[in-house]
Amino acid sequence: MSETLISLSGVGKDYPTLASGAGRVRTLLSLAAGAGIVNHLTALDGIDLEVRRGESLGLVGENGAGKSTLLKIIAGVVKPTRGVARVSGRVGALLELGSGFHPEYTGRENIALAAALAGMSREELKDRVDHIIGFADIGAHIDQPVKHYSSGMVVRLGFAIATALEPDVLITDEVLAVGDESFQRKCIGWMERYLSEGGTLLLCSHGMYHVQTLCQKAAWLQRGRLRAYGDSFSVTQDYLAYHEEKRRAESPFGDRTTYAGDYFAVRSVELLAPDGSPATEFAMDTTIDVRIEIYSPDDRPPVALVGLVRADGTPVYGTHSNEGDFVPRRIAPRRFAFGVRFPRCALIPGKFILRSHALAPEGLTLYDTVETPFTIRGATRDYGLVRLVHEWHAPNP
Amino acid sequence: MQSRAAHSWRWLFTNFLRREITARFAGAAGGLAWALVQPLVQLGVLAAVFGVILRVPDTALGGLRFAGFLAIALWPWFMFAEGLQRAVASIPGNANLIRKVAFPHELLILASVGASFVVHGVGWLVVLVALTAWGEPVNWLGLVLALPLLAAQFAFTVGVGACLAAVHVVLRDVEQALGLALMVIFYASPIVYPLGLVPEPFRSWMALNPLAYAVGRYRELLLGSGLRMLDLAMIAVCVAALLGGLWFFRRISPYFEDLL
Repeated sequence: MSETLISLSGVGKDYPTLASGAGRVRTLLSLAAGAGIVNHLTALDGIDLEVRRGESLGLVGENGAGKSTLLKIIAGVVKPTRGVARVSGRVGALLELGSGFHPEYTGRENIALAAALAGMSREELKDRVDHIIGFADIGAHIDQPVKHYSSGMVVRLGFAIATALEPDVLITDEVLAVGDESFQRKCIGWMERYLSEGGTLLLCSHGMYHVQTLCQKAAWLQRGRLRAYGDSFSVTQDYLAYHEEKRRAESPFGDRTTYAGDYFAVRSVELLAPDGSPATEFAMDTTIDVRIEIYSPDDRPPVALVGLVRADGTPVYGTHSNEGDFVPRRIAPRRFAFGVRFPRCALIPGKFILRSHALAPEGLTLYDTVETPFTIRGATRDYGLVRLVHEWHAPNP
Repeated sequence: MQSRAAHSWRWLFTNFLRREITARFAGAAGGLAWALVQPLVQLGVLAAVFGVILRVPDTALGGLRFAGFLAIALWPWFMFAEGLQRAVASIPGNANLIRKVAFPHELLILASVGASFVVHGVGWLVVLVALTAWGEPVNWLGLVLALPLLAAQFAFTVGVGACLAAVHVVLRDVEQALGLALMVIFYASPIVYPLGLVPEPFRSWMALNPLAYAVGRYRELLLGSGLRMLDLAMIAVCVAALLGGLWFFRRISPYFEDLL
């Protein structure tokens, strides 16, 4: 079992509400008396987490759920109001990219303070300053005051300092997308190397794809509490399902399975395994059968559009029920069933989403969309999204 | 706060200190020279008003000319007053760091007060050299004897500064009130006048002001007197102020991030 780097038990955090002058005086007196904060909002409560070396954790949750507060507690910036937060090893936080820079000083001068803040010693910095300048790659600007930098250059320099720290735990808050194309590639490359060398990542992201691909575990925070914690794939699936549910509740269609309003609507989508049972995981090269029920307000046969995208939204394939002489089956008044089968589905193992859309018979107006996530399991040496039919051959001379 | 080697905090402090000293003048063509020019101009104004127009009697000045009498006290006053002002402003001024990076916040107070003592300490030396050249009877051995008192004054300034800075995070009135308070303290201390001119009972009350005591002692030491037992009391008061101020600061500083 590898060493525990982060251990939180019963961690909670209250923030003071400082509205009035009198409230401020009261807060000051109670802090001085060691009594803690009087009027407060609870940002976090009862968080238990453990992160071991080499085990990366993704934090997901809606805005205001307490993700940033939790990251700050782990970074040591915020003191928890309740509970114990133990963090061992060097924590590098990519939360403060460039925030410690003084605008009047040059990039080179700023490296010194930023590195000292990040916990680097003078000797370490001396060894690494060339690496930092090389990684940031901002040319002669390094000797210009930071106030003349573009925001991209500030972030590059900040990221370069963080990489030089070689942290045991790296905390990032949606900063993977910094700088221009080539710098982003450099960052991702560095991150992959860091993880493959046993680095531990704490990622706070709204991109489920990043959480699924970079983290083994995920924690879902909701209104300051831990709603789910475990395998990153299942937690993010639950999280997406929760959002789907929420969107459904807010959508004009209400409960889809009983919708009977004025629009074309997808009432249900089911993915079936070859044995006919509903499934969300399929082996590569097995048949996936999709069943969709669409509601037609005027009882004319509607059109279905089915699209496959990778979990990050990259389109793979789409098809239209208008093709050929296909006619959906009318299973009841205003209810039509569609089936589309993908025999020996050649998607490369990974996470995908099936998008089902309901269209009017003219096929022009898109009324409704339902997303159904699924996984392709298997081991393959292929690259990309889908295996194309191909053959290797030795060409004739 | 994660455990980190003390030497890495020391290096961070060095960085803060260097920045505190140079940051205020970064981008100014005059650079650090302003740190000497500002007090010199104030010295000139005060010397003109109190030495030439209102004429503090020479007999009460212990053998110094008025400008020399004033200059010996003025730079230690700047160390104190500017140190406090910088300390109070340092926490909100570094809010973006405090919100995002974990480090001992008292380093900011130490660096603010330290920068003020370094800048005006150098200014003081320059002025003392100038006074000697001008023929004032400055006893340089006295400067060495003044160092423990100066160190005590530093401790006092850090303690009071830390306390005020912590209060300022919650009550932003401190910066406003401090400007006024410093003006009152400036005239309530025997800087522009000798203590001997103050009528009783005020004179006895003023002896309780540690700054008034320190200022008077700097003059005596630089004119050749030795250390006294009472100096130990001043050092004790200053160390107590340091410990009390830091205790209070550490009570509040974990909440800075919440309150800023």
